[in-house]
Amino acid sequence: MEATEAHLDRIDQVDGKLNSYITVTRDEALQAAREAERAVASGNHLGPLHGVPFAVKDQFWTRGILTTGGSRILADFVPDEDATVISRLKGAGAILLGKLNMSEFATGNSVYHHWGTPRNPWDLERNPGTSSSGSGAATAAFLCATSIGEDTGGSVRNPANNCGLVGLRPTHGLVSRYGMLGASWSNDIGGPISRTAEDCAVTLQAIAGYDPKDSYSANRPVPDYRAILEGDLKGLKVGIVKEGLYADFVQPEIRETVSNAISHLGELGASIDEVSIPLMPYTAAINRIHIEVEAAPMHRRWLETRPQDYDHNVRTDFLTGSVLPAQLYYKAQRLRELIRRQVFQVLERVDVLALPNSSEPAPLINTKPGIFSKEEAKARMSGRRSLTGSFNLASVPALAVHCGFVTSTGRDMPTALQLAGRPFSDGLLLKVAHLYQQSTSWHTRKPPI
Amino acid sequence: MADLTKEEVKSLGRAVGLELEEPHLSEVTYNINALKELLDDLNPPGLDQVEPLPIIHPYQKLDRE
Repeated sequence: MEATEAHLDRIDQVDGKLNSYITVTRDEALQAAREAERAVASGNHLGPLHGVPFAVKDQFWTRGILTTGGSRILADFVPDEDATVISRLKGAGAILLGKLNMSEFATGNSVYHHWGTPRNPWDLERNPGTSSSGSGAATAAFLCATSIGEDTGGSVRNPANNCGLVGLRPTHGLVSRYGMLGASWSNDIGGPISRTAEDCAVTLQAIAGYDPKDSYSANRPVPDYRAILEGDLKGLKVGIVKEGLYADFVQPEIRETVSNAISHLGELGASIDEVSIPLMPYTAAINRIHIEVEAAPMHRRWLETRPQDYDHNVRTDFLTGSVLPAQLYYKAQRLRELIRRQVFQVLERVDVLALPNSSEPAPLINTKPGIFSKEEAKARMSGRRSLTGSFNLASVPALAVHCGFVTSTGRDMPTALQLAGRPFSDGLLLKVAHLYQQSTSWHTRKPPI
Repeated sequence: MADLTKEEVKSLGRAVGLELEEPHLSEVTYNINALKELLDDLNPPGLDQVEPLPIIHPYQKLDRE
C-alpha cells in the first residue's frame, strides 16, 4: 500500500515536467493495493511482483481504461478486456499505476505528441527514447517500479539507452501480442523496461509464456529467469559486432564507453572475439520497409476518413507504406532472410553479441515535422537505427543495459551496451546484464529530477 | 534506376484508392526514392537463392538456453 501511495505522490509531484503518463489510474491502483495487502496478510503471497506498482505503454489494452496508442484517433478507445500482458501482471499481484506516453502508434518519426511531449529526466530538453518514451522516463524518474514497453525496431532498448535503464526485447513468440495495438506484426513484441536486470527478469517472468490467443506465441516451458541470473561468465563467448562498434557514425565517446563495458565482461570471465554481420548497416532501411508496409493496412480507413488527426510524419510514413511497390517489399523480405542467416551464423560461434545500442546520447526533442529531400529521407533510414533493427528482423532477443555516461552540451547523458542472443536465450542476456550491474555502479545514479 | 516522379507516385496512390496531396505527396516521393536507391544498390551474394521465410525459424540447434 505504501509503495503504491508513494509512487502516486511522486507522479503528482514530478510528472508535470515529464509527461510520462497519459492516464494515471489512481483509484484502481489504491483499490488493488489494498486487496494485495489483505491477500499478503492472509498468507496468499503471489510472488515477487505482488504489490509492486508498474505502468504500461499505452499500446496495451486495459479493461475499462483509456488506451490511445499515443494517438488522437483512439482518444476515446476504452477496451473491454485486458491484453494478455496486463492480465498476467495483474495475476502476479502487480499494481497498475497507469498508461504511459508513447510516440503515435509506436512509430519512430512522430514529432507531435497529442498527450504532451514526453521528456527525459536526465535533461528535460532531450528525447527519452522512442517509441516507449513514457516507459523510459517514468521508470528512470521512479514514477513506477517497473514498466512495459514494446519494441518494433528498438523501442524498448532506445528508452533504456536514453534514460539509463535495462530494456529487453524478448524473443519473438515469448511474450503474447494479444491485446497489443500493432505497429508491425512481424517485428512487434512487448518487453520490460526496469532499473535493474533483476527487475527485468521478475517482470519478464510474469508476462512470458504461451498464449493461444497469439498465433505466433511459442508453446514451450518458461524458465526461472531469476534463478538464471546467478553464477558467473566463465566460458561465455561474447562477439563484438564490428559493423556496430566500429561504424563511422558511432560517436567516439560512445564507442569508448561501450568498449569499456565489453572489456568488463572479459574481466568477469567471458572470452571476447569479433564477429561480422555485413548487412547490419542496411537494416534500418529494410526494417523501415517492413514496418511501413505492415502498419499501413491497419490505418487505411483512418487515412481516408481522419487524415488530419495523424502526426504529420506518421501520416507520411503510413502513406509511404500504402503505395510502396511490391517488388521493393519482396526484395526487403529476401534481404531480411539473409540478415537472419548472418545473425544466426555468428551465433553459432559465440553466445552473445555485443555492440552499442545507439550512436549518440539522447537527442534534443525534435520539433520540426516534414522531410525536405531524398537525402534527408535516406539519412533517416541509416545510422543509429541500424544498430537495433537487425535483431527485430532476425526475431532474436536483444537487451540494452546502462553502461556509463557521455557528456553532451554540458550534461551527463546515459548510454547503453546492447546484447543480443539466440532465440529464447533471454535469460542469458539478463544474466550477463545482471552480473555487469552487480560489479558496476552506473545503475545506482539517479536523474536530477 | 531513375527516381519516380511525383506524378508516378500519385498514380501509385490512385492504384490503391488513395489521393496523395501536398505536402505528403512530395514527402512520400522522397521516401520511396530513398528506399529504392538504398535497395537498388544492395545485391549481396545469395540474394537470388533465398526466399522469404516465416519469422520464427526451426533452427533447433540454436534454440537452447
